[in-house]
Amino acid sequence: MGATVTETERIRNFCIIAHIDHGKSTLADRLLELTHAVSARDMREQYLDKMDLERERGITIKAQAVRLTYATGGVSYELNLIDTPGHVDFTYEVSRSLAACEGAVLLVDAAQGIEAQTLANFHLARDAGLVIVPVVNKIDLPAADVEGTRRDLAELVGCEPEQVLAVSGKTGQGVPELLEAIIARVPPPEGRPSDPLRALVFDSTFDPYRGVIAYVRVKDGVLRSHAELHAMAVGLDWEAEEVGVFAPEATPVPELGPGEVGYLVTGLKDVHQVRVGDTITSQGRDRAHEPLPGYREPKPMVWSGLFPAEGGDYSALRDALEKLKLNDAALVFEPETSSALGFGFRCGFLGLLHMDIVKERLEREFGLELIATAPNVEFHVIRGDRTIVVHNPSEMPPPGTYDRVEEPVVLATIITPSEYLGAVLELCQSRRGEMVDMKYLSPTRVEVHYLLPLAEIIFDFFDQLKSRTRGYASLDYEPWGYEPADLVRVDILLHGEPVDAFSSVVHREKAYQYGRTMVERLRELIPRQLFDVAIQAAIGSRVIARETVKAKRKDVLAKCYGGDITRKRKLLEQQKKGKERLRRVGRVDVPQTAFIEALRVDQDRR
Amino acid sequence: MSIGIYVHVPFCLTRCGYCDFNAYAGLEHLRSPYVRALVREAELAAPGWEQEEVRSVFLGGGTPTTLPADDLAAVLAALRERYRLAPGAEVTVEANPDTVDAPKLSALREAGVTRLSMGAQSFDPAVLASLERVHGPDAVRRAMEAAREAGFGNVNLDLIYGAQGETLASWERTLREAIALGAEHVSAYALTVEPGTPLGRQVALGLRPAPDPDLQAEMFALACELLHGAGYRHYEVSNWARPGFECRHNLGYWRREPYLGLGAGAHSHRGERRWWNVRPPEEYLRRVGAGELPIGGEERLGPEEAHLEEVFLRLRILEGVPASWAEPSAARPLLEGGLLREEAGALVPTERGMLVLNELVLALAG
Repeated sequence: MGATVTETERIRNFCIIAHIDHGKSTLADRLLELTHAVSARDMREQYLDKMDLERERGITIKAQAVRLTYATGGVSYELNLIDTPGHVDFTYEVSRSLAACEGAVLLVDAAQGIEAQTLANFHLARDAGLVIVPVVNKIDLPAADVEGTRRDLAELVGCEPEQVLAVSGKTGQGVPELLEAIIARVPPPEGRPSDPLRALVFDSTFDPYRGVIAYVRVKDGVLRSHAELHAMAVGLDWEAEEVGVFAPEATPVPELGPGEVGYLVTGLKDVHQVRVGDTITSQGRDRAHEPLPGYREPKPMVWSGLFPAEGGDYSALRDALEKLKLNDAALVFEPETSSALGFGFRCGFLGLLHMDIVKERLEREFGLELIATAPNVEFHVIRGDRTIVVHNPSEMPPPGTYDRVEEPVVLATIITPSEYLGAVLELCQSRRGEMVDMKYLSPTRVEVHYLLPLAEIIFDFFDQLKSRTRGYASLDYEPWGYEPADLVRVDILLHGEPVDAFSSVVHREKAYQYGRTMVERLRELIPRQLFDVAIQAAIGSRVIARETVKAKRKDVLAKCYGGDITRKRKLLEQQKKGKERLRRVGRVDVPQTAFIEALRVDQDRR
Repeated sequence: MSIGIYVHVPFCLTRCGYCDFNAYAGLEHLRSPYVRALVREAELAAPGWEQEEVRSVFLGGGTPTTLPADDLAAVLAALRERYRLAPGAEVTVEANPDTVDAPKLSALREAGVTRLSMGAQSFDPAVLASLERVHGPDAVRRAMEAAREAGFGNVNLDLIYGAQGETLASWERTLREAIALGAEHVSAYALTVEPGTPLGRQVALGLRPAPDPDLQAEMFALACELLHGAGYRHYEVSNWARPGFECRHNLGYWRREPYLGLGAGAHSHRGERRWWNVRPPEEYLRRVGAGELPIGGEERLGPEEAHLEEVFLRLRILEGVPASWAEPSAARPLLEGGLLREEAGALVPTERGMLVLNELVLALAG
């Protein structure tokens, strides 16, 4: 990287899109090695998945932009690899990465074949106008069907089977040819250095010392270190403290030219001042007038209340959410007050995995202890010509005060080996699914489309699908719209007091089961009190399930013997401290753990 | 001001699985040096206490009667020499049934012991075995007979309820036998699983069930009923006595009066200060041998701590706390729920309330 910007002809911006587990991160490791971006000494597996959390879960949740240098035919090329996530929850991050690329490597596992997400991501990339480089991966596996996968992929992309590359991310076989193909097939970016600056913020992160750091793709003009900049959507002026590239460690450069991808240290401390999707230009006479087109805005699908276990951590939670929001545009939140859990936030997530990751990051990176309420989808309550949007079951109006309730429905694409078709159909039927169509991709592989209520698939549908098909079926889904459904709110009452945190909106047929499960769980979780505690599940005023925690008859009746009064007093002081950590619901003391355990999402919650 | 003196004897023939007191089996070789150390500590500790009137002495353990009667007499003589024992002072010795016989008990009487506290625990052989007691029920009967023969007119029987294998019926037989033997005083303790004891480990590992709190509650109710019917007065949560036979020494602890503790791990109290001796007998011997007070730790009570003690101790001895001490909103549900009753302006635990006394304390001490 010299002092001047690279001519656009020598730049290629590409991403790798793949189904989860199809070997994207391992292939990226090989690309880093082959281009000497990382020395053998520093190499570690899944190098780009920087966060602990990503490495442990074996998935990538954060797009990364890495500059690779590769010389061929006497020319030194600058290749910018934009890494993308592979989980269905994170489709929006894929589309965000696509906005920074001209080409996409479509990677398919030779042993698994094309999966539902392969299709979804392929369509996203094609719609974004990207050149597709189809690649069969894991050709070293004994179970690999290289030729079959090649044919399927060629048919999908609309090319000749010979044009489909075959690589092994593990052994490195075919990777040099892939680099050559990227240079040959992916077009260089357009854009002139003399035009006014326009750079797309496609991601951002927060550094405690340097403030907000934006990941940018320069479309036109030149982005210089210490330049006076203007963010078009936010309408804010500031000065670039530093620009640089990831090679793959952050490396400052004097400037980024058209087509180049890198980072921008803004020095801004307020996370609201940089928005992903915004266009950055210069101040004054050189400013651009038209912002770049944004990309598809992420839309939260699942809502849950997050509350600090310690009431005093409310503002710490707010700060932490704001920091996470900075590099997670899909996360939305608004203040919420619960009579049981106090002050917290109602948060919107892309899916349950996204919710788990956010919660885990809040706990791990910000040291917070959190209680999450049962996740739910967004309901529409229709009253006359008014639509009330409900994100929180406790906001659901009482029965009889509205005309109908509508719930979100998705169009699900499932690809399964035909021997498991029966099991897949049975699962979809049991989740109130409605079949749209079904087609055989080959004599042994079937693609099925179903309309399914989102609420039925966000919890354990994917796990169920995997376990019923021995892991072979794949799933992708897209929003379809809202449809009326017979939904009711089930309240849980302790000693006659409703506990808002436990309320849930469920289909009438599943209301009894939800109520039963909750009261039984709570009977185990609520310690005996000085009086009998009734635990009830109710729809409106009708009780559908009930359990009782019998009054405690005896606590420790220890001897108070010998002169050791100190020990006995200390025990009491400890007990007193323990009591202070309980939450009071009416007259009932409920331990923190009861909220966490009762609201845990797992299989028998359905 | 009157005081009590406690003397700790940390020796036992065997350790029982449930016991977490400062007691040791297999330290017989330390008996003589220990007795000499007690005499020495009585001298070292005397300054500041020697002018006070001693109204009770309690030799506890461990098992004090693992020491020969002469040794116990020597300790009592040392106390008489350095302190002002009041005429008619209560002098209690704890005994296990298989460590006493008529001659030994007579010797103790002669040395000035007025009250015997016998670790009977149960009259059911299965329950005694489950508690790892080495004596059988007959040993308790014989020891009781020997005590009467020696002239003891004030005998306490210690009982434990809720051990594995005990039923409501076997507990009833134990209570009836204690009454039939004519004990002047009965202490009945719910078996408590203490961490760090063999029983605690077994329960933690799931090798033994923890006592059933509901069954123990019924056993407590039965004790209240039978002992009351037999003319005993319930004067502390776990203690019953024929009128006039309440343990003066223990009441001193519970009323937060001053007391001096001698021996390994013994606790003392005076004013706002509580302190305690080092626990290991060897360390105790070393410190006293070096001419030092063997103090292992101390605390000074702030007003809050003193208040908490006052509340829980007053509730334990069923005197109750003045109604004005408690938040009405805290007391009301407990009164309505039948856990407290109001008696002459005091909030007193009911029989049901005594079983959840910790909860009452926390509610009333704020």
